[in-house]
Amino acid sequence: MSIHKHDYRAYTGRVTPVWTRIFVLGRYSLAEAWSSKFTTVLFVVCLIPPIGALFTIYLANNPAARLLMGNVGPRVLAIDGAFFLNVLTIQSWLAMALASWIAPRLITLDLVDNALPILLSHPISRFGYVLGKCVALFATLSIVTWVPCLLLFAYQGYASPVPWAAANLRIAVGMFAGSLVWIGLISLLGLALSSWVKWRVVATGIIFAAILVPAGVGAIVSEVLRTKWGLLLNLPLVAFSLWQRLLGLHDHVDELKKLPVGAILAVLALACCLFVVMLNKRIRAREVVRG
Amino acid sequence: MNDQIIFEDVSKFYGEVLGVNRVSLTIPPGITTLVGPNGSGKTTLMNLLTGLVQPSSGSISVMGLSSRDANKFFATVGYCTQFDFFPRGITGWQFLLDSLMLHGMSKLAAIQLAEESLQRVQLDKTAAWRKIDGYSKGMRQKIRLAQAIAHRPRVLVLDEPLNGLDPMARAESMALFEELGRQGIHLIISSHILDEVDRISDRVVLITGGYLIAEGNIHQVRQEVREKPMQVLVRCDRPEALASKMFAMNHCVEARLHPDGRGIFLRTGDVDQFYSILNDIATEGTVKIEAVAPADDDAHAIYQYLIGSEGGTL
Amino acid sequence: MMQQAGAGRRRDFMQQPWALWRLQAKRLTQIELRRNLFSWRATWIYFLAFIPTLIIFIHILFNEHDASSFNDDTQVLAGIIQLYYIRLGVFFGCLGIFSRLIRGEMIERSLHFYLLSPVRREVLLLSKFAAGSAAAVLLFVTATIVDFALMYLPFGAAGRDYVFNGPGLGQLEAYVLIIVLACLGYGAVFLLLSMVFKNPTPGALLFLGWEAINPVLPSILQRLSVASYLRHLMPVDVGAKGFIALLTVETEPVSGLAATLGLLLLITAVLLYSCYRIRTLEIRYTTE
Repeated sequence: MSIHKHDYRAYTGRVTPVWTRIFVLGRYSLAEAWSSKFTTVLFVVCLIPPIGALFTIYLANNPAARLLMGNVGPRVLAIDGAFFLNVLTIQSWLAMALASWIAPRLITLDLVDNALPILLSHPISRFGYVLGKCVALFATLSIVTWVPCLLLFAYQGYASPVPWAAANLRIAVGMFAGSLVWIGLISLLGLALSSWVKWRVVATGIIFAAILVPAGVGAIVSEVLRTKWGLLLNLPLVAFSLWQRLLGLHDHVDELKKLPVGAILAVLALACCLFVVMLNKRIRAREVVRG
Repeated sequence: MNDQIIFEDVSKFYGEVLGVNRVSLTIPPGITTLVGPNGSGKTTLMNLLTGLVQPSSGSISVMGLSSRDANKFFATVGYCTQFDFFPRGITGWQFLLDSLMLHGMSKLAAIQLAEESLQRVQLDKTAAWRKIDGYSKGMRQKIRLAQAIAHRPRVLVLDEPLNGLDPMARAESMALFEELGRQGIHLIISSHILDEVDRISDRVVLITGGYLIAEGNIHQVRQEVREKPMQVLVRCDRPEALASKMFAMNHCVEARLHPDGRGIFLRTGDVDQFYSILNDIATEGTVKIEAVAPADDDAHAIYQYLIGSEGGTL
Repeated sequence: MMQQAGAGRRRDFMQQPWALWRLQAKRLTQIELRRNLFSWRATWIYFLAFIPTLIIFIHILFNEHDASSFNDDTQVLAGIIQLYYIRLGVFFGCLGIFSRLIRGEMIERSLHFYLLSPVRREVLLLSKFAAGSAAAVLLFVTATIVDFALMYLPFGAAGRDYVFNGPGLGQLEAYVLIIVLACLGYGAVFLLLSMVFKNPTPGALLFLGWEAINPVLPSILQRLSVASYLRHLMPVDVGAKGFIALLTVETEPVSGLAATLGLLLLITAVLLYSCYRIRTLEIRYTTE
């Protein structure tokens, strides 16, 4: 009998279910994302607007405070769908900044150091790898988007002297759904571009450019060709249009710039598909030799 | 012009991490090898010498020049770093020519020097026309070396120049270094391949943990290490008899028979006395001595004695 | 005594190897231009510069051009220059080009080849800046001129009259000057940012934010903005609306000459500080 048979025993103990293993990657990714002091600074900045909004809700619902402010009209401190849409918009831009900082940290190091072949030689699929990274992004971005928005909604429901929450439940659902769409979009965008650009330093800039430049190009298309369809290149605007509808604010939309829901959904789906294709091309167990 | 490289009480700290500490060193022309474990400060010393990093304290002078006077300094110094990276998308030939043209020479002169350096490192000209991105590790090492020597520097600093080279290319490079050393230039090499370095070095500089441990001619340095008895290989017809005579005279602390039975390794605390006694034994004629050679005054042994296991991986 | 010291300094100044520095600067600029303009990685800058040109070309092919659309097109062109090129195209283009010059080389671990060449570090920095500027100016000025030509070409005689006998040529000159200054201004700032920070992008985006909030700042702080100087050189006023209004700078009125000189002064100051930084730059790739 060979020595191998004497001494070597394959592991036969219990193993965790396959689906939970992506959380291992997620956990490490979260640790990597939060290892930078700048992430903490950005996160703190992200919490400033919700604190301001919280204060506004307090003022709006406190008769004494309103009296002190000279009894301002109801429209000035109105807590309604438009108010929450503004909060969501601000938070979405901040989430964008956070994602553009974090996403490259999650993926570029693996690519630059040729770590993908090692990672993918474990029982983790390419899909699982990307999902693990997305979990880290989703957890981080949730804390600055739908979580504070829903907390503000809950506080307004609690502080309002009239029954408010039940009548405005659509706002909460809209914010949650809108945030999920935005988080999904910018997570995929961040990971896809980071995987192509590779260098972390460059990736942050490219992610921002990928949002702002098409928006600018869309504006040129709209102005030069006198059409509203150029606006479809403006992803923040497209997302904003979707949120307006989700929060039941479509009456506020400028008719000239009103984009059909079908077009909005198609653009978002197309963008996500493009990012998935980009990831599929790049996230592979191959070594990249640099000269 | 001063023909020495002088480090005067040089220290380098990367934040709180020590690079090198209070190094005072004078390097004359010839081949000098920097020996030390990984992270000992060899590359920092080379980077300090060439001005890629600035000393936290102390001063460095290379042939009386400072790296701040780039025009004169880098016309005198060539540095082949261990960074295996190149400007992207460039061919080997472009890389050489661009570098030479910055010296202010005409294109014709640059082409001549580029061809000459390619020849010296034995890199095919057709290979030089290809993009470096497609080179093997050995070819990349060669083109880096070619770039460092192309402008005929008087001081050549080579950080791990034998890495990635196959045995044939390694032998060619060693021959080139020997030739350059004979021409009287300062050749400063850091290498892990001690056996080969040993063969061509005039001097060694031992460094560990950022501290200079020893410097000088290998044999001199070995003799300085008095607490470690010297080992001498004596080739003779009756090694056992020789050993017993040596032990009888209290001049041997250890004896080990050579595997072929035709020689013996003897360790002695006083090498001068040892050789004197050995002469007497040879004159007596009871043992026929064929050859005597020091067995442990090479860079490897010095490394083992002075740095040893504390040095970490070599 | 003072005269002697002055004469000594003048003599030292004249004894510097200016001819060699000029030659080295020329060669470094050529090397950098080759890398900035003729590589696959430069494609996206071509895209940034020429995408408006493509859209205007489509406009020529598919839209009608009558007298009523003349003023609109003039406004649109001014908007493209001020809101697209200055705020996005030149901004991100210069961010890419100028960040690569020093930081990019550090990331790719090839900067030491330059620092080991017999070139004074200041000459190296200024040559790299010159090459980056030349690449950016070449692309964006060419795009601006082509945009201008394409915009007025379909109007036939009216267009020609506007360009050669009307304010057209003056507007084109102003646009070219704006683009050149924008390339130099952003270039200098991004070159410095890339030397100060390991990742210059957050700094650059803060700079974008700074430029956006500049109108609400005291007038002394407004002088630290590139776009605020450029705004005074715009030959056609653009009334920005909505989201784009956030990116429009409104500053105190300043004459064109003062704005140009002010910006050149800002660029000089930034470059001088960059020269000081490169003197003390160290190669420590392991921390990248």
